[in-house]
Amino acid sequence: MDDQAFKTELAELIPHLRAFARSLCGNATAADDLAQEAMLKAWKARASYQAGTNLKAWTFTILRNLFYSEKRRSWRRQQLDPEVAEATLVSNDNPSSAIELLSLRNALDELPEDQREALILVGAGGLSYEETAEICGCAIGTIKSRVSRARKAITEILESKMSGLTGNDSLSAADAFEDIMRQADELSRDLPADA
Amino acid sequence: MNYKASQMSQSKKPDADASRSKKIRQKRIGDQLRRLYDDVTNEPVPDEFLSLLEQADKSSKQK
Repeated sequence: MDDQAFKTELAELIPHLRAFARSLCGNATAADDLAQEAMLKAWKARASYQAGTNLKAWTFTILRNLFYSEKRRSWRRQQLDPEVAEATLVSNDNPSSAIELLSLRNALDELPEDQREALILVGAGGLSYEETAEICGCAIGTIKSRVSRARKAITEILESKMSGLTGNDSLSAADAFEDIMRQADELSRDLPADA
Repeated sequence: MNYKASQMSQSKKPDADASRSKKIRQKRIGDQLRRLYDDVTNEPVPDEFLSLLEQADKSSKQK
């Protein structure tokens, strides 16, 4: 692949590099730093990319290696930045779904790193189990089991939060709102005709 | 509906409800997970990315 073609394809992947980096870092500024470094590293390594293979998986592998190899760097995942939380709330037309997204982010934070990454790549990034296994350097079966454990854990974390709400005096307004909106949402959801 | 029939439908209901609501919740979590990711891919790419890439391209051509 010539440089021009490589550059074009790499540029098209920037949004995905940013999204994957954001899921690893949790902080938008640190994530963009990481995504930029990964992009430049991919550019420098372009000679070793084999045309016809999956460029997205290849660049994700570079980004992930960068993230895990430089443990001291500031882009290590931190607790959700209050500014990010606020921006999510403000930028969202639907406050109940914004709060739900934040709950999900917090639940993701509670997962072990390997499970979180597998769930994000497969469940959010739309990568196949095979591509994800390639990126994470492990067997497909391992990825399948991580994704399934992650899904189960996320469901349990979110549910335990919901059930913890009842009979709790220190229930925050946001939590109460979330609880009510979620219930309303479930009730109003289109039910299958045979239900 | 007679008393017996209404009892039967009540005894069946919790299971079906639970599994339906579990499916709904899981689909919802899946949708939200994709949204977390798509919200970022839908953002405009900061100019810095492309200018860094151009710079890298130029300096590699000079070598």
